[in-house]
Amino acid sequence: MNEQDRQQRLYVAKMAEKLRAGKISRREFIRAAALAGFGFSSAWYLGGCAPARPAAPAQPAAPEAPKADAATGSGSLTPQQQFLKEVGGKFKGTRIKIVSENTSPGLVISKLMKEEFTPLTGIEVDWEIVPLDQVLAKTIQDTVVGATGGKGQSDIYYWDQAWLGRFVNDSIPVDELLAKTDLAYPDYKFDDFLPQLVRDIASYKGTKIGVPFDIPIFIMMYRKDIFDELKLSVPTTMPEYMDVVKAIHEAKSGQGIMGTVGQWKSGHYALQCDATAWMWSHGGAHFDADGKPMYTAEENVEGMRYMMELGNYMDPGVTGWDWGGQGDAFTQGKAGIFISWGEFFPGFDDPSRSKVVGLVEPADCPKEVKLRPREQCGYDETPGISHQGGSCLAISKYAPNPDAAWVFLQWATSADLTARANAQGANVPIRASNYTDPRVLENNKVVPGTTRHFEVTRRAIETRMGTEPHLPQWAALANDVNAVEYGKMTTKQQSIEDTLKAIQEKTEKALQAMRQYGVAA
Amino acid sequence: MAITQLPASGVTRKVEATQAERVARRRHRRESIAQTAVAAFIALFFFAPIAYWFLVSVKPLTYTMSWPPVLLSEPIFDWYEVVVLGLDPNVGAKTGIVFNGAAGDYYVIPYLLNSIVIGVLSTIVAVGLATPAAYALSRFHFQRRSSVIAWILSTRMMPPVVAMFPLFWLYTQADQRVFSSIFGRGTSVLYDSLLGVLLVHVVVNLPLSTLLLKSFFDDIPTDLDEAAMVDGCTRWQAFSKVIWHYALPGMAAAAILAFITSWNEFLLTLTVTRTQFRTVPVFGSTFDVSAAGTEWGALAAVSTTAMVPVFIFVLIVQRNLVRGLTMGAVKG
Amino acid sequence: MTQLHTHKRKHPWWSPERPWVWLLPIVILLAIYSVYPFIFNIIISFQRFDPMDKAFKWNFPANWINLFTNSDFLKAFRITATYGIIALVVELVLGIAIALAFDRSRVRLRGLWQSLFILPMVVPPVIAGLMFRFLQNADYGIISNILYALGIIERSEPLIGGTGRNVLLAVLIADVWQWTPFVALIVLAGLKSMPHEPLEAAVVDGATPWQLFWEIKLPLLRGVLAVAVLFRIVDLLRLFDYVAIMTSGGPGGNSETISHYAYRMHKSIEWGMVSVIGIVVLILAIVVTNAYMRAFKVKF
Repeated sequence: MNEQDRQQRLYVAKMAEKLRAGKISRREFIRAAALAGFGFSSAWYLGGCAPARPAAPAQPAAPEAPKADAATGSGSLTPQQQFLKEVGGKFKGTRIKIVSENTSPGLVISKLMKEEFTPLTGIEVDWEIVPLDQVLAKTIQDTVVGATGGKGQSDIYYWDQAWLGRFVNDSIPVDELLAKTDLAYPDYKFDDFLPQLVRDIASYKGTKIGVPFDIPIFIMMYRKDIFDELKLSVPTTMPEYMDVVKAIHEAKSGQGIMGTVGQWKSGHYALQCDATAWMWSHGGAHFDADGKPMYTAEENVEGMRYMMELGNYMDPGVTGWDWGGQGDAFTQGKAGIFISWGEFFPGFDDPSRSKVVGLVEPADCPKEVKLRPREQCGYDETPGISHQGGSCLAISKYAPNPDAAWVFLQWATSADLTARANAQGANVPIRASNYTDPRVLENNKVVPGTTRHFEVTRRAIETRMGTEPHLPQWAALANDVNAVEYGKMTTKQQSIEDTLKAIQEKTEKALQAMRQYGVAA
Repeated sequence: MAITQLPASGVTRKVEATQAERVARRRHRRESIAQTAVAAFIALFFFAPIAYWFLVSVKPLTYTMSWPPVLLSEPIFDWYEVVVLGLDPNVGAKTGIVFNGAAGDYYVIPYLLNSIVIGVLSTIVAVGLATPAAYALSRFHFQRRSSVIAWILSTRMMPPVVAMFPLFWLYTQADQRVFSSIFGRGTSVLYDSLLGVLLVHVVVNLPLSTLLLKSFFDDIPTDLDEAAMVDGCTRWQAFSKVIWHYALPGMAAAAILAFITSWNEFLLTLTVTRTQFRTVPVFGSTFDVSAAGTEWGALAAVSTTAMVPVFIFVLIVQRNLVRGLTMGAVKG
Repeated sequence: MTQLHTHKRKHPWWSPERPWVWLLPIVILLAIYSVYPFIFNIIISFQRFDPMDKAFKWNFPANWINLFTNSDFLKAFRITATYGIIALVVELVLGIAIALAFDRSRVRLRGLWQSLFILPMVVPPVIAGLMFRFLQNADYGIISNILYALGIIERSEPLIGGTGRNVLLAVLIADVWQWTPFVALIVLAGLKSMPHEPLEAAVVDGATPWQLFWEIKLPLLRGVLAVAVLFRIVDLLRLFDYVAIMTSGGPGGNSETISHYAYRMHKSIEWGMVSVIGIVVLILAIVVTNAYMRAFKVKF
């Protein structure tokens, strides 16, 4: 970076400080930044500030919970609050326990929990946060202790979609819970959850074992300013996507903007997610209808070729980046387009951490070259380029306090709560009503925690969603076989064919071991 | 001290004492500057990553997550407000910073207190238990002594990863099958309790402390014990009234190292705690958020904050540490 | 001493004249926390955890065969060994050099420099790992960019990334940063407790500083170094935190250590395999330290 460039940056930084301090308006800041030639098209940016859609009603339609006085009983209570007070109050003093990873909805919910849920019910909630891989280990340990005759430690489990098969017998089925009429949350409406999510992140072989909780899903995100500058149009097919990536890379890599960016940290689940999307988009899949691995199929090889070609247009650091590294890189304006978690999106519009405020647009993923139907795959696998990484909450079969936990779970996943969480940037639209709630729509503009991408997200969930197979061994296979072998491929230690062959062999071996224990596929 | 002053004296003493003194003083000043510069360079070199990390915590991420970073701007303390003061990280409200979201919170102070309390208590217990053991290993020449020492050393060699599941199993089973029947259903005596974490931290520290102190006692002449016992002390009295005073510097060094180990312990603490007694490293690990990226700013603020008390601690104790290690402990 | 021996017979084992009661508390604790997991692991190492029945089932000797025929494990073994040796040498050389610098007599503000210098030791490795992930980011990381500027690494092969050629350097930087102070501190203590006579004699004989170091100081430091090396060997053999946090063993398995391999098995609930690895590492550590202690005549 030359001195002039540096001075400009410092100037913009100073203006940003003023903006933060409230000394200048946002509009002045934009003008200053544009004058400094900071690179973003100011007209576009200003457009983002004044949303095209009519402003949402200032007063949300659904009732806001009155805070402190709700506990004392003064003021009028909604039926939900009434329920929490009366039914939840029966479990006063109970301490329920959850273990989960650090996810967006958790922040909002745990905050509201302290302000509303606990004062109303008297139920204390211990929410333990650990890194994702530890959640799995801790949960399994807990089920082992539970299954050997004791009670578990946790009341509520947090299950990533990849683990469903493993825990199919460890929760109280949701239908059983919904049948408890005395504990039924008023207006809970289980049907309001998007049915695709119920099927793919909360059920195994038709049995509902949990309640959908969050839904990171792959969508396409691109830099509108770069597209305008290079006169590119949004790709709708896989070859077009590759062309766009290439074009951006050729024009912009000199300025430090790569064509695209990936999550290729070997040995990390992120890499498996990335690879799977390319596999599926070329007609491939992990397992055929008989439950046999089919990695070596030509479609999968095609998918991997596509992925490796994309790698030519990425920063070399990509093999060390998991989703966090990928998100950081795009947020810092280091790539032109990518297909990845929509969860990144709210951060793009946050000026304190993003260099691409208002410059990123969401779009539907390009059409798959070929798509293998769900019926031709095994273990509930559903190909689709919009790879999802959702998770559900389930009541443990070994829960010390299942009823209190169910009251909490219904509250935490109720329409009102999820809408409020989404309005505050939790980014987990799991219910149909979340997409229409005025409080959520209000953020459909360039603000930190934006919901501009929700429409695309909903289309992705309803029509394009890809779900990994749910066999019991999947968590282990995905992390320790696939992600590791793909890592050898992306670092060019191993050819595509050898990689897929190695995964095929290891998977077969694991399945054999599984059959040995009489686990039906 | 004595070494470098040697060549200066003697030769020029008679001839023009004042001039020689001046030359010597000038040379000393030069040496002092040079030596201080080297030491300062080394210290700052090792301190640099921490300093940069501190800058990350007081700049918007857009400034530090680019090359070259923009470091000459007014500091912002938004993350500290949330992390240290426990203000509500309400999205976009005051701070303008979106928190990706932790289900717990960002308020580091309770975890910091946990770390300090667990560190101090476990250090006291570990050194308290290790000292008599080290004394015995030093003074009694029994047959199996070298095997016992080898065994104590070997307990440090098991990778913590391997102990995770057995430990979890032990704690939960003991709670459910033993302590629940004594203290009533649902009591946690070990799992997620102060006692449980403490014991782990004590055990992690025992081997090093014991061996360190043992070589320390080796340096204290046995004549002292014998003199005390001739005066009518029992062996226990000889130890508790006389000998251990001589071992104090060693105990200080062992205690400092034990505190540091306890401060840094991660995997086993993670295994035996849930929400009640998590330490700073366990808390810090939760900032590595899946999908939404790592909370770099908050993490930097957390680690800087956590470093303040230990920095003060180090500043106070480093002299004792070096001195303690000096006096025999590291003879091998 | 003679007194001790004559009294010995009369005292029961619990008497304070015998060692056992002194050792009892730590023996009990260490037994619970290390012998118990060890026995537990031996048993589990012959079994496999069945995820559906939530029970351990015998499958002797599959875990053991699996381990030693597994190319990933053998690679991890190789990496642990090479990395361990390199890290040990670097930390020793740096540690000694730095200790010598701090040992000079005319250093002002010594306490401050020493404190700043040992500060890395009190940064929990988990947090240090995350910190270095930031500082070594291929794009904006300050360490990466300094190394690019110095021409030590190429932009196409960043510290963490590329084909993983430089990834061990990334881990090494973190490791050296955190543990050189430990080595230096111990060496410094050794230097401080060094007898003055041989040094003074050598100076009078006109020895150069270089000779002074090689011929007098270093031999006198042998015992101290032996201890520092011993503790570093034990820790390097189970190197885990930085790898887990910074690289997850990648890229392409190029930074996978034995301990991290075990952790991967733990994550995928192959507890039988974890146990096997645990026992292997333990045996390895005992053999290595024993050989080392014999070779260098280290005694406790």
